[in-house]
Formats: sequence, structure tokens, C-alpha cells
Amino acid sequence: MLYSTFLWRRGFHRDNWINFGLLAAAFVLHTLAMAKRGFTLHHCPVNNLYEATTFVLWTIAAGSLALALLPKLRFLGVFTAPLLFCVGLFALWPGLDAEYIDNIPNFSSDWFKLHVPVILLGYGAFGLSATAGSMFLTQERNLKFHRARALFAILPPIQRLEKIITYTLVIGLALLTAGVGIGAAFVEEDATFWGDSKTIWSFLVWTMYCGLLVSHLKFDQRGRRYAWSAIVAFGFVILTFWGTNLLSDIHNPPTP
Amino acid sequence: MPIVVTGLSHHSSPVEMRERFAFSNTQVADALGQVRQRGIADEAVILSTCNRVEIYAATRESNPVLGQALEQFLYDFHGIAPAPAHALYTHLEPQSVDHLFRVSCGIDSMVLGETEILGQLKQAYRLAHAEKATAAQLNKTFQKAFNVAKLVRSETQIQRGSISVSSVAVELAESIFDSLKSQQVLVIGAGDTSEKAARALRSRGAQSILVSNRSHDKATALAAELGGRAIGFDTWVEEFQGVDIIISSTTAPHYMLTRDKLESLLRQRGHRPLLLVDIAVPRDIDPDCNQLENVYVYNIDDLQSIAGQYIEQRKAELDLCKRLIAGKRNELLDSLQAHPAQTNLGLREKQVGS
Repeated sequence: MLYSTFLWRRGFHRDNWINFGLLAAAFVLHTLAMAKRGFTLHHCPVNNLYEATTFVLWTIAAGSLALALLPKLRFLGVFTAPLLFCVGLFALWPGLDAEYIDNIPNFSSDWFKLHVPVILLGYGAFGLSATAGSMFLTQERNLKFHRARALFAILPPIQRLEKIITYTLVIGLALLTAGVGIGAAFVEEDATFWGDSKTIWSFLVWTMYCGLLVSHLKFDQRGRRYAWSAIVAFGFVILTFWGTNLLSDIHNPPTP
Repeated sequence: MPIVVTGLSHHSSPVEMRERFAFSNTQVADALGQVRQRGIADEAVILSTCNRVEIYAATRESNPVLGQALEQFLYDFHGIAPAPAHALYTHLEPQSVDHLFRVSCGIDSMVLGETEILGQLKQAYRLAHAEKATAAQLNKTFQKAFNVAKLVRSETQIQRGSISVSSVAVELAESIFDSLKSQQVLVIGAGDTSEKAARALRSRGAQSILVSNRSHDKATALAAELGGRAIGFDTWVEEFQGVDIIISSTTAPHYMLTRDKLESLLRQRGHRPLLLVDIAVPRDIDPDCNQLENVYVYNIDDLQSIAGQYIEQRKAELDLCKRLIAGKRNELLDSLQAHPAQTNLGLREKQVGS
């Protein structure tokens, strides 16, 4: 994170592997920790807020590392690291890593093993679109204000960044649709579906991203406004994820 | 085992002087033979370009008057009467090696960090090698010089960036558009710089180029050269919808494109990014256009300032280059000292053979 800020100020001149290396090392450690937790619990570690948050972060880190292998995207890690750091810090908030009951009545179907991870992968993709968005804004600003660093920087052309935002949004939306679909299809009958805060929230998020994509693809929403929308949308997801989760009855069934 | 360089360059003399000392390729072969026949040096390489004429020479034993002998040779060969104003310079070891390394990296060049000199240096070395005028010392030294050039290229930014207006324009286009292939370029006013910029865009992939000029004949001629299409001077607005990059350099005394006009044009065009490069003085494009969303306006000063900053960036890399060069120079001299026996080969064989 500190190194990222440093690179940011330096203006991304040189092709830089150190940031990539640091992020990759952190990612490996993260994967190990998550795998350990997963094997001890015998399922994918996504069942409380701490685990869910770190899973989203893991997805973002994986995605940005993969994209960083492409030319001119090496610095994506610089933009993801601050996000990972801040949200990661928040995930350590005491109480988020609560113990949970294993046999929640509503979630007996095997399909639910996919419900949560798929949705969280989707959020990870949205997170990537937000980082690509911040990269876009940085570079766009440099170009607009005729700063020479727009050219010195090893950053991709803004039009390509716009495409990356769109691709990650499409992937995220597809995953979210699949995940929510699984949840809706296999939930036990007696759950009060539409009154639940989290289902409403998920629907809201889905509509928001769907609207964003339609505005881009259909109504030619481009440039700064589009990049900002991707960032704001993900900010909304991150900031409201915890609250709605705790309010939801289906996702926090009363202990029998 | 001294390596010496004698000659003159754009730093020391004007072109009127340099041209008198210049060697043609056939003269180089002849001169290389003479240097050795007269016993001035055992090994030699002659570099003759438009910006410099230099003889790199090496002898087996140290020779304090080698520099003077080489200077005298340059005068004799070209039939010029020696004069102090000629400003020939001579560098002895280790400065001579430093000098060669700097030349190979382009940091002694007129355009700091240019790469053409490396090719010329390689050519000069090949020629001397083919004439069997080089042996262990200069072979090793020149190989090292080529390695240093490669190292400096990869480790520093001395060669990075565009330092001409037209190449800055191309770089701008490349940092806005994903690929230049599908972008349409419109050149308004067929001036020299706009032609260069259009050519550069084309060499980087731009396929569709429209040319609009007050004199239609000139537009047609330039369009033909660029593989583009000429359009009427007053009708370019009709083509505007498809255009992504405009290079404007007309002599019009007022703005060709005002903010209001562009705003209404943009409404039909959608929100694709638009790069407007205005190299005309007085300006063709209202600077307020830059405030419109997805529109990027650069005028001649913006481009020149970026090119200037690139040059500054290159200058800032000079110290790093010099450090790299000093390290490699020491490496080379150590290794030459460690194997002095090898340096006696080569030339002797040539002399015996001939």
C-alpha cells in the first residue's frame, strides 16, 4: 500500500515488478490462509462477514494480478492495493469473524455451496471494474490537463480501460445473476423472500449494475461519468454489504 | 595497451569543418590500411558520420605521441593544412573508452539519446573488421560498447519518449485510443508538420486518413501519398461524424472550430473520444473545446512542452548513464589488462599474410 502511494506520486514511469511482486506474495499468503480455513471447515470459507469480505478481496487480487500480466496494465496492482488494504482493515473489525451454526435450516441444498462464492466472485469483478475506473480517471485527468505524465506513464489507453470496465462489469453481473438465481431457486419454501433486506438489497445492486451496463452499451454513456459510476457503484456495495447482511432474516436465521 | 580516439564532432566544429575531414566508405578502407602501414597504430576503426569523424586506434605498447600522430594523419590524408581552429580532440585511456561508450549510447549525439549512431558505429566496426584492421583490443572494446548501449537502453530512460511535435501527437493518440487501426484521421491544412504527424499516425497503424486543404490539388497530392482521401475544404464538417483525430494547421486568422460549433457536431457523433491537435498559429481550434466531455485539445505549445519535458527527462538520466558507463569501462580495462598476451595477435597475422 505504501509502495503504491509512492509509485503513484512517481507517475508510473518505469515498468515496475516490485509492486506486482509484493501483491503476488500477499496473494499467495492469503490463498494459503484461506485454504487452511477451508480445509478445517470442510467448505469454502465464505460463511461470515469476515470470510466473505476476504473472499471478495482475494478475487480482486487474483483478477488484478492476472490482468497485470498484460502489457501496460502492470500498474493495476498500484490501484488495487489501497482498496485491498482499506477493506481488508475493515474486515478485521472485531465481531465480524463470528462463529456460526453449521446446519442452517434454509441452506440444506448442496447448491448453496455455490450460492455464496459465485456472488462474491461477482463482487470481486465489480471491484476490478472500480479499480480500472480509478485508473481511467487518473489517466483521463492527465490527458485533459495536458500533463506530460499522461505519456510518460506506462498506463493503457483510456479507451482500453473503458473496455476493461465493461468486461469486468459483464462478468460480475453474470456471476451475480447466477448466484442470486441459485439462491432464489433453492431456498426453502417457508422463507419470507421479498421482505428480506438482503434480497431486496441484492436486487438493488443487480438493477444498479444492469442499468450501468445498459446506459453504456445502449445509450453510449462513456468516459469520466462511466468510470465514476463503476467506482460509486462498488463503493455502494462495499459500504452497504455489512449492514444489510446483519438485518436479513434469511441470512441470519434465529438460533433454534 | 592504450586506446586512443582522435577526431572532431558537432561539439567541437561546424559542419564546414567536419565535411572536409569526412571519409567515404572506400576512403575508410584505404585510410585503415595507411594507419597500419605507416606504423601509427596496430588497430584502428574509423567512424565517419555527418556529426562526427573519429579514429579509434590501439597500439600494443603505450605510445605517448599516438594522439598527435593520428591528428597529423587526419590532416595528411585529407590534404588539409593543420590549424588550431580545426579543434581536433584527442582522448587517451580511460577517457577514450568512456567517449566510445557515450557515443554508442547516443549521449554524445546532437539529439540526446538518439539510436542511429549505434547503427553507424556498428557499420564502422564491421568495415574495419572486414579490413582486418581490428584485433583483440578494439574487438573487445567495441563489443563492450555495443553491450553498454544495450544496457543503457534497457536500464535507463535516455532513449524513451517522443521529442518531436509529430511523434508526441502520435503518442497522445495512442494513450487515448485502444488501437489506431480503426480510427479515422482528418488533416485540415496540408502543412509540413501536419503531414509529418499524419505520416507518423499512418506508420503506427492508422488506416483511414482524410485530407482537407484550401487548395484541393495539394490535398489530393498529400492524400495520394498517405493512401487517404481528399475532401473539400468547406465540406469537412460532413465527414466529422466518423472522425476521431483531427490535425489542424490552416492559415486561417480565426478559429475554424469554436466550442458552440463542436458541441452541435458532437451531438450527432456520440461520445467517442476525440483528439484535436491544433498546430496552427494563429490557432484553429477554440481552446474552450477542451472543456467538453471526451474531447482533448492540444495546441502547438502543449506538444512542444511535452517534447521539452521528454528531453529534460533524458537529461535527468545522464548521471545514471555515466555511472553505468564508468562501471563497464573499468570492467573492460581490467579484462584487457588481465589478458595482454591476446592483444598481440591479429595484426601480426595480417602482416605476415599480406
